[in-house]
This record gives sequence, structure tokens and C-alpha cells, in this order.
Amino acid sequence: MKMVKAEGLSYAYTRLTETDHGTEEKKITALEQVDIEIEKGEFIVVLGHNGSGKSTFAKHINALLQPTGGTLWVKGMDTQQEEKVWDIRQTAGMVFQNPDNQLVATVVEEDIAFGPENMGIEPKEIRRRVDDALATVRMSEFAAYTPSKLSGGQKQRIAIAGVLAMKPDCIVLDEPTAMLDPVGRKEVMETIERLNREEGITIILITHYMDEAVRGDRVYVIDDGHLVMQGHPKEIFAQVETLKGYGLDVPQVTETAYLLRKEGIDLPGDILTIEEMVGALCQLKSAI
Amino acid sequence: MSIKISHLTHVYNEGTAFEKKALDDVSIEIQTGEFIGLIGHTGSGKSTLIQHLNGIIPPTSGEILLDGENIHKDKAKLKEVRRRIGLAFQYPEYQLFEMTVYKDVAFGPTNMQLSKEEIHESVVSALETVGIPHELYEKSPFELSGGQKRRVAIAGVLAMNPEVLILDEPTAGLDPRGRDEILAAVGRLHRERGITVILVSHSMEDVAKLADRIIVMHKGKAAMTGTPREIFSCPAELEGMGLAAPQMSYVFASLKEKGFDVPTDIYTVEEAKEALLKLVKQVKV
Amino acid sequence: MIRDITIGQYYPVDSPIHRLDARIKLGVTFLFIVTLFLVNSFTGYLFAAACMALVIRASKVPLKFMLKGLKSIMIIILFTAFINLFMTRGEHVLWHWGFLTLTVEGILMAIKMCVRLVMLIIGSSLLTLTTTPIQLTDAIEYVLRPFKRIGVPAHEIAMMMTIALRFIPTLLDETDKIMKAQQARGADFDTGNLLQKAKSLIPILVPLFISAFRRAEELAMAMEARCYHGDEHRTRMKEMKMEKRDYRAMTIACCYTLAIFGLRFAAKVFPFVI
Repeated sequence: MKMVKAEGLSYAYTRLTETDHGTEEKKITALEQVDIEIEKGEFIVVLGHNGSGKSTFAKHINALLQPTGGTLWVKGMDTQQEEKVWDIRQTAGMVFQNPDNQLVATVVEEDIAFGPENMGIEPKEIRRRVDDALATVRMSEFAAYTPSKLSGGQKQRIAIAGVLAMKPDCIVLDEPTAMLDPVGRKEVMETIERLNREEGITIILITHYMDEAVRGDRVYVIDDGHLVMQGHPKEIFAQVETLKGYGLDVPQVTETAYLLRKEGIDLPGDILTIEEMVGALCQLKSAI
Repeated sequence: MSIKISHLTHVYNEGTAFEKKALDDVSIEIQTGEFIGLIGHTGSGKSTLIQHLNGIIPPTSGEILLDGENIHKDKAKLKEVRRRIGLAFQYPEYQLFEMTVYKDVAFGPTNMQLSKEEIHESVVSALETVGIPHELYEKSPFELSGGQKRRVAIAGVLAMNPEVLILDEPTAGLDPRGRDEILAAVGRLHRERGITVILVSHSMEDVAKLADRIIVMHKGKAAMTGTPREIFSCPAELEGMGLAAPQMSYVFASLKEKGFDVPTDIYTVEEAKEALLKLVKQVKV
Repeated sequence: MIRDITIGQYYPVDSPIHRLDARIKLGVTFLFIVTLFLVNSFTGYLFAAACMALVIRASKVPLKFMLKGLKSIMIIILFTAFINLFMTRGEHVLWHWGFLTLTVEGILMAIKMCVRLVMLIIGSSLLTLTTTPIQLTDAIEYVLRPFKRIGVPAHEIAMMMTIALRFIPTLLDETDKIMKAQQARGADFDTGNLLQKAKSLIPILVPLFISAFRRAEELAMAMEARCYHGDEHRTRMKEMKMEKRDYRAMTIACCYTLAIFGLRFAAKVFPFVI
């Protein structure tokens, strides 16, 4: 069974805008005919500029939004089935952008307990899950802290732990690092990668940082509500011009390699990291 | 206008259990028309430093001299100091409050009690500099996109015609397109208005594109100062301070280590392309 | 500045008082406040004060911390003293000027009222100093539960309190930031008449409200994503359980109340002895 499957997923809404001629109803299509299949244990990156529809897509996986066309299944459950909502939210947890606006309690461990408490888990089991989740995100020593005393990166790790305590199969992260400094970003990315590798949790990471995107197994690019590219990061980032056309960036090394290739230098088209760049240049030297 | 910071120290919550030295004997000079990149990780003291520059927080010891005069010497002049040194905080769009873009940008000049014509001139010129088209002037600022909101907020500071503009993390949380628009606007206002700009950032790529000189803050001290070329040629040192140099600096440092004859002071894609082309041709010959 | 304000300051040490069930502490504090109004003699005050001193001692919270709480309401205490001092009618007039009359009864009344107020505040701050906000909200939820039948939303009230406590530091920080940002644009909050001052708050309040609404919306979504659906089938990680020490504390509190009643009665029967 696919972890997440979307077939012809569309989402449109009407917005009232004020014009000189009074209010006007405008139909906005945030997603149109999106087909996606995500396997269990995959690390998926969804790219797109602000307003491209990538957040709308994320909210559908958590049944926070209902499709206006097509269907989305989470582990075989149709998100439009109302009685499945809590199962879906437990299966696919969600972490949001602003670390300040998703923590509920005044004490870290109480916050992590919030999800399991809502699910009606036994107190002893909640305690166990909270301790496990804290250990997994390496925040055990902060159990009794108040969230407002933590750094942005730490708050996001607590938010991740809060989702982990619900024992999800899949975690959707909606730009979790956009408001963090480099240290916080690194902490969060390491945590996400570890969850994927060691716990086998399916990760759907929504971002516009390309250095994060290169770490995924597969990349989806969404533009203007349409799924416009999909494939391995190496396939995606080889298309420098196309990505730039969608308002996205490519890593410096990838761009340099691309420019050099255009000058007729024989470099591979899939350089994503510093090491790969240096390696390719060394090979080039020995080849000559 | 020159700014001279001499032996500036700031201690938060002095004398309590929460005492924290945010700035420790910092001395920096900034010349008229310079474009300064101020970098450092969270908690390095860079935010405290910029809030001192326009007198919002007073120093524990040391002084800030504006054209040779201590800004805290005359309390009555502090308001004028704040006008001359504009400060756009992090996520400045959260301070927008007026009904229209125009009115919001006019808030600063209105507080300065300028005439209607002067206000109009300042507002239009500021909005033009940050690239907000005329048809948006009468829109509510809350209807704009994230990048546009932020540019309007920056225009709000710019409309006070400051001689120095300090921008705290102006690209934080924006997507690549929004970021490029902001950086283009900042570059433009520096070129066109000739004002001194201090850009606070932890994105090396952003700073690398624009700054003439970089000041690296670490543990409350100005740990390094120099041109981007000088600063980025020692990526290891930056790593030690929780920062990272642009990717290209690492590539060239690594190539040098492997025995290639390459310069180590390269940090932009364009320079890298030229240097690598030269290298390849050298090897071929 | 603005962030120096502390609300519900909890003093984190381990003491017999800290370990007590929050519901007991809430109940005892309530009882204590009621008894303060039953006391009618100086011996009674002395007894209540002595009991309170013992509890403070047992709580391991430094007295300095308690007195700090008093500083912020000093004006109210002084005002109460002033009113009672001059507004109490009595036979033994000591001094008279205009509408101000100082009587022996007034002095006694003022002392009584101040002692009552100070003890009331120390007593209730003892509750917040030894109980985490979360325990306190849980206790309030528990106490309100019986009233659910008559439509009191006990769980919702407790949840609102939790969220408020969680967001107070965030919003204070935000206020500070917005104030600084508007100051940087030449806003002036200190000068001008009342109307101008009120008007100068608009640039702070509007962004603050917008931000609070945005946060509320995002938080609501985050709570929903974590399966929040009211208190139906909801469990708690930390269950409130009464232990031996809680029953002991209850017994002591009952004895104390009886003693206060005893003293009140004694003061009426033998007014000159006590």
C-alpha cells in the first residue's frame, strides 16, 4: 500500500477582493490535477516558491484541507472520509513553519504529551512515548523547560517530538527551517534524516532551500498548482534553467558546473555537493 | 556620516542571576557610503550591536560616536539620531498597521512633522527605490505578498531619509524570488542614494553578493573584519564560529589542498567559473 | 523593560509543599483566605501568621521572594491604609483637619486591613510559587468539573489558561519588538496629552492584534493536526492522585480552620483576655 497517493488532486477556493467596482469574487486554483505516489520509508522533498501550492498540498495529507477535485489517500484511507480523520492525522503527522505557533503547553514534556493525550492513550504509555520521543530528537535534558526559553531549532525539534509521540508512519514538514538560523537548520535537518534512516519514517519535506532538497530520495517541484517536475535530486538539479524559471535556486556548485559545461568542459551533469564538485575536478585533471 | 563605536560593552540583566554579557569591548568604525555585512550566529551579539547604533538600547559602558558626537550626550537629539540611522528589524512586515501602503510608509515622515509635499516626496521616492509599483500604493499592505510586504516595511524606514540604513536579516523566511527582490532593492538604494548600509545576515551568499566589508561577531566581540575576499578565504575559522562560507570557498580551499594551483579567495559563481576555466586551460597546455 | 513582568512565577525547588497535590493547595489557599476574614482578634492574626510562617518555611521559598511580590501592590496597601486611617469613625478622636479625622479605631482598623491584605497576598503567592501553572490549571479544571452539568466549560477554560500562559512571554516579546520598530520610525509614546498618547498606541496595537490572530489561527491548525478534539476521550499523562501526604495536609488545614473558629468564639466570649 502506498503511504500517500494522490489522483487528480485539485483544490480551489474563492476569495473576495475589493476593487474599484465593489467586491469581486475571484476563484483561485491552488492545486490542479496533481498525481503523486509516495512509498513507505521514502524521503520526499517538495519544492516550489511561496504561493506555488506546496503548503496546500501538505495540508491535504493531514486532512486539514479537503480536495475540491480528485482524491488523496493516506495509507489507503481516503481523506474525505470523515470518520477516518483522526486515524489519518495520527498516521501522517505534521510540523509547521513557525516554531512559536505550534507548541501548546508551557512545559516541553507536557507539550509532547498533547498528541497522545488527545488520542486517549493510557497515562503510563504516554509517559513512555514522551521519553522516547525526547530521546529520539536528543532533547531529553530539556523535558522540564518552558518552550519560550528554547532556541528556534530546539523548538522545532520539540514540535517533531510532539508528532513522534503519536507514532506516525509519515511526517509532513511544512518549511520547518524557514525561520531558523544555520545552526537550527542543521539540527532540524539532522533530526529529520535520522528519523527517516533509523526509524524508517516516511518524510515529506516542503522547503525552498536547495541544500536541503539534495538530501531527498525524490524531489517534486510544484509551480502554480501544477506538479511540473519529479525525479531524483540529480535529475532535477541538472535542469538549472528550468528550475530558475520556477523561481527556484540551485546550489552554487551545481550552477558553476552547469556554467562550465556550457563552456564545453566535460563535467557530469549531476553535481550537487562540494565533495562531488572537487571529485569531478580531480577526475578531470587525471583524465587529461 | 561616520559611525565610531568605541569600547562598547553591554550586559543584560546586570547584577541578577540572568546576567549576560552580550557585547564585550567592541570597537568598530564605519565610513560614509560603506556597505557593511554584519554576520554572526544567533546570540553572537549582532542584534544587540545594531540596537545600540540607533540608540534604542543604551550601552553599559563605552560610547557610540556619530560624526564625533556621543549619541547619548543629549537626550533631546536621540530622536534625530534614530532618523539619521534607520533600522529595519527582522520580519519588519509585522510592524505594518495602516490602511494603505502609502499611509504606512508615511508614518515615519509624518512623525518627523514634515510638510505634506515633503512627506509625499519621501514616500514615493522610498517606494520607488524598493520597487513597489504605483498601483499598489492605495492597497492594504496586508493584501500583498510576503516579499512585497517586507519591501513596503523597509520603505517605511527609508522614507525618513536616513543616512545609514541597518537591515536585520532582511531575507529571513523568504523564497529565492522574494530574497532576490529584497537584495536587489538593497543594492539599488545603496547605489542610488549613496547611503551607508549595514546588512545583518547569517546567509553568507547574501552578504557575499553586496558587502564591501564584513564584520564577524562572535561571543560579543568583533572577531574578524575584512573584505569578503579576506573573510571567506578562511572557511575553517568561520566554521569554528558556527558560520559557513559560501560553497565555492570550500571547493577552492579543497582544490588547493589537493595541490591545484588555484586562488583561495573565490566565493561567487562567476569568479569560480573564470578561475576553473583558467585552471582547465592551464592543465591542457 | 516590558519583559521583566513575570506572571505566575513558579519557584522551582523540591519541598513538601511543592509535592502536594495542586487541588489540595488550591483548596487550602481558598480556606486560608476565608479564615482571614473570620479572624477578629490580634491573637487570631498572630496564630494565622505563625501558621503561614511555618508553611513558608516548609516551602523552601526565600522570604525575599515573597516580599518582592508585595512591592508591586504597595500602592494598593498604602491606599487601603490611608482610607481606613482617616475614614473610620470612632470615639477616640486624636486629630482632626477638614474632612480628615484620625481616630484610635481608625489606626487599629488600618493595621488590621493591611495585615489582612498582606497575608492574603503572601498566602496566594505561596500557591503560585509552589505550583507549576500546568498543575494549577489542571486543579482548576478538576474543581470546575462538577459545574460542567450547568454549562461551565471546565476543560475549555483550563485549555485557554494553558494557552494564555504559553503565549504571554511570546506576545510580550513581540510587543517589545513592535515598540522598538515603531520607535525607529520616529513614534513617540512618552510625550503629549492623554489623547495623543492613546493615539500613539495604534501603531503598536494593530500589528499586535494582527499577529495574535495569525498565531491563533496557526495554533488552532497545529492543535487539530495533533488530533485535538476537546476533552472527549482525552487522557492525561500526569494523573492527579491523592497521596498520604495530601490527606495529612487536609487534616492539618481542618485543624487550623477549627482553631480559627475557636479563637473567634473565644474573642467574643472573653474580649479582654484575647
